[in-house]
Amino acid sequence: MDKSVNHKNIYYPPGGILMWIIIFLELITFGIALISMMYMSKSDPIVFHESRLLLDPVYGFINTVVLLTSGLFMASSVYEFKQSNKVKFKKHVGFAILFGIIFLVVKFIEYNSKIGAGLILGYNTFFNFYWLLTLFHVIHVVVGLVILTTLILSSENKIELADVEASASFWHMCDLIWLLLFPVIYLIF
Amino acid sequence: MKKHLVVSWIVLIVITGVASLLSILDVESSTILLILFLSLVKFLGVSFYFMEMNRSNSFWKVAILLFVTIFLLSATIIL
Repeated sequence: MDKSVNHKNIYYPPGGILMWIIIFLELITFGIALISMMYMSKSDPIVFHESRLLLDPVYGFINTVVLLTSGLFMASSVYEFKQSNKVKFKKHVGFAILFGIIFLVVKFIEYNSKIGAGLILGYNTFFNFYWLLTLFHVIHVVVGLVILTTLILSSENKIELADVEASASFWHMCDLIWLLLFPVIYLIF
Repeated sequence: MKKHLVVSWIVLIVITGVASLLSILDVESSTILLILFLSLVKFLGVSFYFMEMNRSNSFWKVAILLFVTIFLLSATIIL
């Protein structure tokens, strides 16, 4: 696949059809879990509200900004690759990785404070959802970082646009999932 | 860096800030739905501009819009 790929063709969305099947499966999985969380909150609204107040939305806000910034650099790296600016391409992928690592550091600090306060898996229904959903998302971020690191370490001549777009799509999927998690877990209860 | 990407990023950050402020100011059900709506606007911003789905076949655009609509409708019914 080269730069002449026609993304208007139903079989060739940016990132590839298989990546988009994965993205939709992931979004549906997280979507159902979040809808279930909202449904469960109706039977115990006080517990969900008090539990939500135990979270610090500043962590969630910072991580949203961090992931969106990482997504900006990733989108820019795809553009630079298409322009054959290989140096800028690698630099921007590097920044995307850096912000991904910052996301994990902030998450680690947040997890540490929650574990210290005894708000662990099994504490109540809200925190069961909190841990399962955010940890599952963290696993996606780690896998995304491995993919991006592989991309940046690959020989320039061996990377094709399809590889770059597929890697970028996976990374943006982490953004999309977080954009669903952030309001439901940190803001609405 | 492409100008439209930077503009998209600024809009996404501003929407994130507005949604966060709304959650501090008020917890009415209409506000909750507004927060979810704003988040789904961000979702569409990332998928259409960062992931370039605005250049894809209509099938994929409709699929994304369908997911967002079903998610928001489900939340509206439950909340």
